[in-house]
Amino acid sequence: MATLGALGLAGVTKAADKLTDGGLAPLDAKRNPGRETPIVPPGAIGVKNFYTHCTACQLCIAACPNGLLKPSTSADRFMQPVMGYDNSYCRPECVRCSQVCPTGAIRPITRAQKTDISIGTAHLYFHECIAVQGEARCGLCERHCPVQAISMQKLMPHDTSENAPRRPVVSEHRCIGCGACENVCPVNPASAIRVEGRLIHTDIS
Amino acid sequence: MKIHDKYIFSPQRRRALKLIGAGSALAALAPWLAACGRKKDTSAGDRSEADGSKMTYRVNPTTGDKVSLLGFGCMRFPTIPDTDGELDQEAINELIDHAIANGVNYFDTSPAYCKGQSETATGKALARHPRSNFFIATKLSNFSPQTWSREKSMEMYHRSFENLQVDYIDYLLLHSIGQGGLENFARRYEENGILDFLVEERSAGCIRNLGFSYHGDIAVFDYLLNLHDQGKVSWDFVQIQLNYVDWLHAKEVNPRNTNGEYLYSELSRRGIPAVIMEPLLGGRLASIPQNLAKLLKSERPDDSIARWAFRYAGTPEGVLTVLSGMTRMEHLNDNLETYSPLHPIQPDEDRLLQRVATMMLQYPVVNCTACSYCMPCPYGLDIPAIFTHYNKMVNNGDIVTDHMDPHYVAARREFLVGLDRAVETRRQPGRCVDCGECVTHCPQSIEIPAEMKRIDKYTEALRQNLNA
Repeated sequence: MATLGALGLAGVTKAADKLTDGGLAPLDAKRNPGRETPIVPPGAIGVKNFYTHCTACQLCIAACPNGLLKPSTSADRFMQPVMGYDNSYCRPECVRCSQVCPTGAIRPITRAQKTDISIGTAHLYFHECIAVQGEARCGLCERHCPVQAISMQKLMPHDTSENAPRRPVVSEHRCIGCGACENVCPVNPASAIRVEGRLIHTDIS
Repeated sequence: MKIHDKYIFSPQRRRALKLIGAGSALAALAPWLAACGRKKDTSAGDRSEADGSKMTYRVNPTTGDKVSLLGFGCMRFPTIPDTDGELDQEAINELIDHAIANGVNYFDTSPAYCKGQSETATGKALARHPRSNFFIATKLSNFSPQTWSREKSMEMYHRSFENLQVDYIDYLLLHSIGQGGLENFARRYEENGILDFLVEERSAGCIRNLGFSYHGDIAVFDYLLNLHDQGKVSWDFVQIQLNYVDWLHAKEVNPRNTNGEYLYSELSRRGIPAVIMEPLLGGRLASIPQNLAKLLKSERPDDSIARWAFRYAGTPEGVLTVLSGMTRMEHLNDNLETYSPLHPIQPDEDRLLQRVATMMLQYPVVNCTACSYCMPCPYGLDIPAIFTHYNKMVNNGDIVTDHMDPHYVAARREFLVGLDRAVETRRQPGRCVDCGECVTHCPQSIEIPAEMKRIDKYTEALRQNLNA
């Protein structure tokens, strides 16, 4: 039992520590990190348009199947939605919030348009990344990026060994800020790759 | 009993209840219903066909032990719901009492099973029975490099006696010797002198039978049998994986595994009794695709699908006991009936099973037996639950890649809803970081990260509806 406790505290178990079989490793909850520019849903045009038109009617919050939108508790945006990638990410096939918004805070978009609108850009926090540290090959952000904006590249360009350490590289001109990378990143509670919002959304088609 | 069951759920009864006035009738019937339920649970104890005296026993040539053909595997003990896999001691006691009452006398555990709780739980349940009524099998599970030293391995060995509350161990196994090849075997058992130590312990009577369980690299299996041939270490028994699929097709399923036929015949020509594990492939041979199940059902309509697999594993004469990791009373009762006494598989039935085995290879399931050796995954994935869900979908024909398939919409929904229900989002295949820790632990040599990627790709295509 003592060993189990130790595993729990460590969070991440290494093979050398594993003495028994079965059970689930505990996972720390993900935290929505502070962002200089908030992220707002695709179709919102930009932060200003979104928050000036939004009447805090809660329709988009109820419609979001992934639980990204939550009512704000801050005084200036009270009950207006805030968006975070701690539960899930803004999935490429979903445009529900844009379909329900009655005020034009989120304008209707199609599924095809969705992957052309950039609502933010992913940034790597180099030293926190487990691939950089050599803990695992990982590459989850690369694999889950729906627009192939992230690629894993060698840390040392001339290292030819098969298991050469790699790092994610973000192509900011392709990134749509959907938060897939931030959401799936195995580093908890704050991901090693996080999205910074755009004041005005950009068409990257 | 059967008539009662039928009546309890019958429309006639429902109508009757309505007539009487449902509320009061239910209250009046409650004790009667409860009594029926109880009676059903315990009635197996005095069922003539599952009586202890009818159990098939095999005799161990070295010690003369009369071992029940059904061995109790203590790896899949019931757990208490909503806990972190905490074992349900009360349910375990009931299972073990019922098994002993019906002639089962072989109990197989390990310091690693059930998050390390299995030995203690087995010990607690068995301590309530006379020591002469059961044989206990446990293992030296020194997989982790931190237990490779002589001191740590001996500590693990001695702790087994404490956990099991016994002063001798009937069957001690070197645990899964093929994993990590000859190199790891040398580190775990030879360089630290533990193998010699265990042989001495056997001479001293602390271990009555010394053997090993095998998965993985066949070189280690051959090496150990060579030691036996040369008279260096004699093995009293060996534990191998045997079932009607692995008998001829283990290598086909995964080139790094070995066919059961080879393993068994190597033992049988040396007269070493075989203990059988994975007779049911972790339950996969109990839930085979429906069209194959129909083949078996048409032959023996009243037999469970699992019974075929158990009869198959128990048929060879060199088999000492067949281990079944029984979680529920109904598993136990079905198995008791299967082996009290054993009706050996007949040649024509054998041919049918081989046909089923060949047809099963067409289904691209993941060869996982849900043994949980890979767990806990350091990154939180629920590996056995993911594979179990995927295999279920494969067997049900719910894997679809063509949106023109009339079944596409239903199958997509079935897969995605089922996955979310079986595995929480953060433990799903998409979260595998390819660290590779699990691969070293998997007795079936499954390339787990590659399978995770494959299943995730499929899942993601369904989610985004890419095929549509």
